[in-house]
Amino acid sequence: MTKRFSLGIDLGTTNCAIALTDLEADQTEVLEVTQILGPNRIGERRTLPSALYVPHRDEFRENSFPLPWEDETGDARIIGHFAREHGALVPDRLITSAKSWLANAHIDPRQKSLPWGSDIQEDKLSPFECSRRYLDHLKNAFLHAGRAQGRNRDLSETELVLTVPASFDAVARNLTAEAAEAAGLGKVILLEEPQAAFYAWIAEADREWRALIGPGDIVLVCDVGGGTTDFSLIAVSDNDGTLELDRISVGEHILLGGDNMDLALAYTLQAQLEAEGKSIDSWQFLALVHAASKAKVELFDNDALTEAPIAVPSRGSSLFARTVSTKLERATLDRVVLDGFFAKTTISDLPLGSRRAGLQEFGLPFAADPVISKHLARFLVRSSANLKNSQTLSAMVEGQPGSNEFLLPTAVLFNGGVFKSGPVRNRVLELLASWNQRQPVRELRGIELDLAVAKGASFYGRTRVTGKGIRIKAGAARSYYIGLEASMPAVPGFKPPVKALCVVPQGMQEGSELLLEGRDFGLLTGHPAEFRFFSSADRSGDRPGQILPDAERELEETASLEINLPPLPEFPAGQVVPVQINSVVTELGTLELWMKHLSSDRRWKVEFQIRTE
Amino acid sequence: MPKANLKIISITSCVALAALNALALFPEAGDFRVYLTGASLAIALGLLMAILFIRSEKAGPENQTETARPVPVPVQTAGNREEAEIVSFLAIFQERGRLIDFLMDDITTYDDAQVGAAARVVHQGCKAALQEHFRIRPIREESEGSSVTIPAGYAADEYRLIGKISGPGAFSGTLLHHGWKTDSVNLPRLVRTGPDRLPTIAPAEIELK
Repeated sequence: MTKRFSLGIDLGTTNCAIALTDLEADQTEVLEVTQILGPNRIGERRTLPSALYVPHRDEFRENSFPLPWEDETGDARIIGHFAREHGALVPDRLITSAKSWLANAHIDPRQKSLPWGSDIQEDKLSPFECSRRYLDHLKNAFLHAGRAQGRNRDLSETELVLTVPASFDAVARNLTAEAAEAAGLGKVILLEEPQAAFYAWIAEADREWRALIGPGDIVLVCDVGGGTTDFSLIAVSDNDGTLELDRISVGEHILLGGDNMDLALAYTLQAQLEAEGKSIDSWQFLALVHAASKAKVELFDNDALTEAPIAVPSRGSSLFARTVSTKLERATLDRVVLDGFFAKTTISDLPLGSRRAGLQEFGLPFAADPVISKHLARFLVRSSANLKNSQTLSAMVEGQPGSNEFLLPTAVLFNGGVFKSGPVRNRVLELLASWNQRQPVRELRGIELDLAVAKGASFYGRTRVTGKGIRIKAGAARSYYIGLEASMPAVPGFKPPVKALCVVPQGMQEGSELLLEGRDFGLLTGHPAEFRFFSSADRSGDRPGQILPDAERELEETASLEINLPPLPEFPAGQVVPVQINSVVTELGTLELWMKHLSSDRRWKVEFQIRTE
Repeated sequence: MPKANLKIISITSCVALAALNALALFPEAGDFRVYLTGASLAIALGLLMAILFIRSEKAGPENQTETARPVPVPVQTAGNREEAEIVSFLAIFQERGRLIDFLMDDITTYDDAQVGAAARVVHQGCKAALQEHFRIRPIREESEGSSVTIPAGYAADEYRLIGKISGPGAFSGTLLHHGWKTDSVNLPRLVRTGPDRLPTIAPAEIELK
């Protein structure tokens, strides 16, 4: 069917949003998401908080949470605004950050493990199932919004673009695509969030963007959301008079964001209250987090203010008797948020590694070092190391400022709610300038920084359908490897290293595939075969077929691969089938590995098994 | 539904007027008198709401106004639904800005600083709720106290003329209050509530350990 719309879906760690581009009218709008605002109360919001609440059977009256697209049999789980607000008071039943669990190396994303560490009696949900539910909700909200406007929109005439963190590896990306399919969205196109933010900027700047950046520019997309931080670098080059954009580097998955800043402020204010002899309970602390967040925005938005009042109501019905009040001083705000999270550190000041305490609580790998400046420094140093491995990439950034040790951007595009505040943007610009021998780094001005990803995604969908407009060349952000057990004589106390065969090089384009010829494997029919699967984000020079001597030392283990060849008439059980590895990066942005029979066209798909430790 | 919305809007514009006029005076801190003015205005507002409720109740079926007599199981009538929506709307102001707590508490025993601190809670929450559900702006952009002219054929419901009114329009005079209006309403919708009872304004809260 001809595509008439493009829908951009931002499945965020803390908030989701959707934007729709009407291809005929060439107009993009953010669609409000219908959601539960309270018992028996629904309404529309521009974002859907990525929060899921599992209510107790007796907690609410029956059928208190009907959505317009659900019948009465819909189960009682609640998604969105009310889930987040109410769940904050009943944390045992609240699921948040489900998305980060998809990229977690410790648990199987299909296992019912959330809410994490909770004692609830009801069925828990898997991170995969949570993502599926958020996507199902967004799908229904999209269709519902169409019906409400009297326009029946069909998914089959809609190009669907779903964004994922640039730091997601192939396994997390494939899982996200699968969750979308399970939610009834069909095949979706995956797009990295920082790229989506960049597309939103291009759409907004319209024709002028070519005047704002030019060949030789390296743009840092600095995306700090509610719970995660994501960096990417995009290089601008000139290819025979045509401007080209290449996403040349992506950062690691850093669990650190705006929510941490609000929490840090609230703890500071709590200490301030205690010093004044006032104490607050845990419920009031939540109110304090809200109030601190509001005061932060007020102070950052208005230079003339030196302090913002904070009032925290009591728990009971008397507002007059027990409301406690204090003030957030600008100096405190600057100290906690600017100096705490965006400290003026040097480029060689890298984040502290995670603490290796004897008893470490098992959970999400939150960043151990809260200083975003240091994470940024690490990203720029890693990017430089990665680029040095590839001649093509090195040529692209030739003559750039910065030393041999790190790659310095010439321009920055900010994204995420944190950067709505001017002082935070300015601090990052100052930081970059301090690493650039005081030469300023340009800021590309984005708008609506919390909705840009959804908008950029729908704009990208439009570009794909119409073929008009520039596209960022990206390809695989990482290179991938299959582990090969080294054949060595056994030596007691010595574990032979696992060699790694590169099967997907960094930068392998969407819609391309390759066959590793000259490296044949034998698969035994009727016996499952297992391989270890590795990846790396900083080995841009590795070619397909290349062998690395020690996978465990140089690469990250991503998953294990499993393949089971069922016995077939031409290959009875127990027979060895000669195969070659055939890797495919699909048009949609997912990675597939196949084992192809040497002398026929028959091939078998390799499934990713989630690593669990 | 439109009728119910109109009613809610009329009530809310009162909430808006009181909240914005009185409580928005806060930045002039130090003078706590304004808080009291705010509070008394808010109480007046409470009265107004009460009056409106009484009115709508009177308009209801006869048997509902009589006390101590078993009433037949009510069906969900349009009036019933309107009331449910108004109550649910009050619930939003309570949830976000503790408005009902503020109005129902006895204000006389507290000093101005305490009232001021509480008023901040009400102002912050109610203002956010108001801005979320309505786009509110002044009818006249000129500053109050300046001279304005209203052309002939003006929208009479947007103006209240005070003093000496004579001759044909246009009218010239001093702007005393710039007025408020809303041109966009985005209210949450009430779904599947029982016909037998009104929604709760604020549930009783019990902490389990």
